[in-house]
Order: sequence, then structure tokens, then C-alpha cells
Amino acid sequence: MLRSRFYLAGPLVCLAAAGSPIFAANPSVVIYDGLTREVAGAPDKSNDLWLKPADLTRATKFELKPQGLCTDTVCIPLPEARKDTFLATRAGETWFNLSEFARLLKQPVAHDAKHSIWYFGPRPEAQNGYTQTLQAPDFTLPDLQGKTHSLADFRGKKVLLITWGSR
Amino acid sequence: MPGWQKLYSELKDKHFEIVSVAEDTGGAKDAARWITAANPGYTVLIDTQHMVTRLYDMVNVPTAVWIDEKGHIVRPNEVAYVDNRFKSLHGIEAAPYLDAIRDWATNGEKSRFVLSEKELRERLKPQNPDHALAAAEFGLAEYLYRTGKGGDAIPHYKEAQRLNPESWNYKRQAWALSDAQRDYGTSFMNEVKKLQGKPYYAPRQLPETKK
Repeated sequence: MLRSRFYLAGPLVCLAAAGSPIFAANPSVVIYDGLTREVAGAPDKSNDLWLKPADLTRATKFELKPQGLCTDTVCIPLPEARKDTFLATRAGETWFNLSEFARLLKQPVAHDAKHSIWYFGPRPEAQNGYTQTLQAPDFTLPDLQGKTHSLADFRGKKVLLITWGSR
Repeated sequence: MPGWQKLYSELKDKHFEIVSVAEDTGGAKDAARWITAANPGYTVLIDTQHMVTRLYDMVNVPTAVWIDEKGHIVRPNEVAYVDNRFKSLHGIEAAPYLDAIRDWATNGEKSRFVLSEKELRERLKPQNPDHALAAAEFGLAEYLYRTGKGGDAIPHYKEAQRLNPESWNYKRQAWALSDAQRDYGTSFMNEVKKLQGKPYYAPRQLPETKK
């Protein structure tokens, strides 16, 4: 775990505009697809989050490959003409701009600068798929005893799904 | 809850289930006393991260969705009061909705309350991008609160409320987790009063009210 700020030595290569401040990696928290991971994140001037490939994969399950960003099931190519908005090399290390990738995918992002936390919401097609399929989005949650139940467990019955709030 | 239990006892032999989800950041700490007191026979789940709110793009509680045997939505989000306890605030009569549920439990897909695919597609809209961003701000606020940074959660709760002013879930939960008067300059009851009797929930559209 990174305990203090560290500064990346080496020449400024293609990160942000010329004259930008030193590119520093902080312990940061990324919440992505409901998964929370601590990473060494480097915010740039506009608070975009840059990650090393290993952290990128740990936080998002996406792997940086020549053909784009890939999981086991999908590969998303990076627009060739502006690849340098996604990728930077600093002191011989590759960094990836996860915020720019979120813009490409039209993913909503919330950021807390004080605690260096980035929350990435679902991609629109994941969020809105059910409006096309009419399939009720599944979820798995615990009951009061801690036993988990999925909506799909009730297949074969009519289900009245009710949400409420205690306060 | 006793009202839902009564309906459940009446209908459970008709391949009918109730799945009731508490949308509470405080989790069991806040929800348990209601559940224990009612001791319902149906399934009650705890959703500390408001996952169901996000998945179904809900804006208030109580909200219900009807899901058929194949897992398809047949009536999307609508207000679901089981009795008239709060009718003076929202003006919604509970009985017609409970009768609609009875009709569905008995008649299944032939129930006149089951919506056609066309009607469903009209009602189920993709999430508006501002509301998607609001959900992310709310998720971040919820994480800050859960990890002991409740004070720093407030600006993100406020941002969620600003981006999606129609969501009473964002208001209710944020205000409940702090001193609403101090941190937000308002309270739930204050905001309800401001509506001056206008429904603070999109009205139900049961067939008898369509005409």
C-alpha cells in the first residue's frame, strides 16, 4: 500500500498540456461495477484518473491489449486518432486514462477530490438493457439473517417486488 | 407490513410471492425493528447500497414492480401503498391497487392490469444522463458515509439531489442520515408541505383511472 505521495521522475511525455504540474500518484479508491479497489491513481489537472495497467485490470477487469481494452467477453477498441488521450508513457511506464475511457463509454463518473475516490456508474447499455428486453433486472441481497436471495430464485411465480425505506 | 402480510396470506397459494426490499444505507440497524415487529412470511431483503433503486430507476418508496413467472416486468414502477395511513400527505387510495394485485394473482397474464408490450415500452424509458450521474453521486456519497466520512458525503448527496430533483429517495436517505435542518436547511416534512397537496409521486395509471 502506498503510504505517502510519490512523484514520478522523468521527462513529461504527452500528459496534459505543457507546463502541467508534476504527475503524482496517490492512493486512490476506484468503485467500478460495484467493486471497490485501492489503486495508485494519478489525477491530472482536470481530475481525470490515470492508472497503471495492473491497477486498471484489478479495478475494472479490463486488460490493456493491442486491440483495445478487453475482458473475457468483450474488446473495446480505442479511437486510433486520439489514442494519446487514453495512453501516456512516463518514466518508461504506461498509464491509462480511465476517466477518458468512461467518457468513451458514456459512463457516469462521480469524484471526491479530498479522499481521492472515483465512482464509475454502469454503462448505459447495462443500465438500460431491461427497457428493451423487458426482463426484470436481477439482484442478490441478504435478508435479516444474512442469507442471500436472488430475484431469479422466484422464477415460476408471480413476484410483487416492493421497495420501502425505514426512515 | 401487516397489510402486505395479510395480502400475502390471501394470495400465496396462487403462485404469488412478495419480495420486499428495504432501501436503507443504515441496513439492518434501521430496518430490523420493522421487520422483526411484522415477522412477515414473505421475503424481506436489505439493500444498503440502494441497488434496486438504481437497477429499476426508482424515485420514491414505496414503489412496486410486477414480475411474471418468466421474470418479465408486466407492470413497472408505481406507487404501492398498502393502506391509507399517509393518505393525507399523498392523496392516494390504497384499495384499488390491492384489488389490482388480487386480480393479477388470480388471472395471471389474462389480468386486465397486465400491460401490453407496447404499453411497457412506452413506460420503461432509458435513464436520463443527468439521472445516471445523480446515481453515481449518490453511490459515492453512500460509500463515504459507510466508510465513516459522513460529513464529506453531504456535497455529493446534494449534487445527486440537484441532478435528479424528482428523486425522493435521494432526499429522504440523505436527510435521514444527518441533521437535515443543519446540513440541508430543510426536512422531509417541510418539503412535502411545500408541494401544498400536489402528489409527490407520479400518479398510478390503473385501467379504471385511464378512461
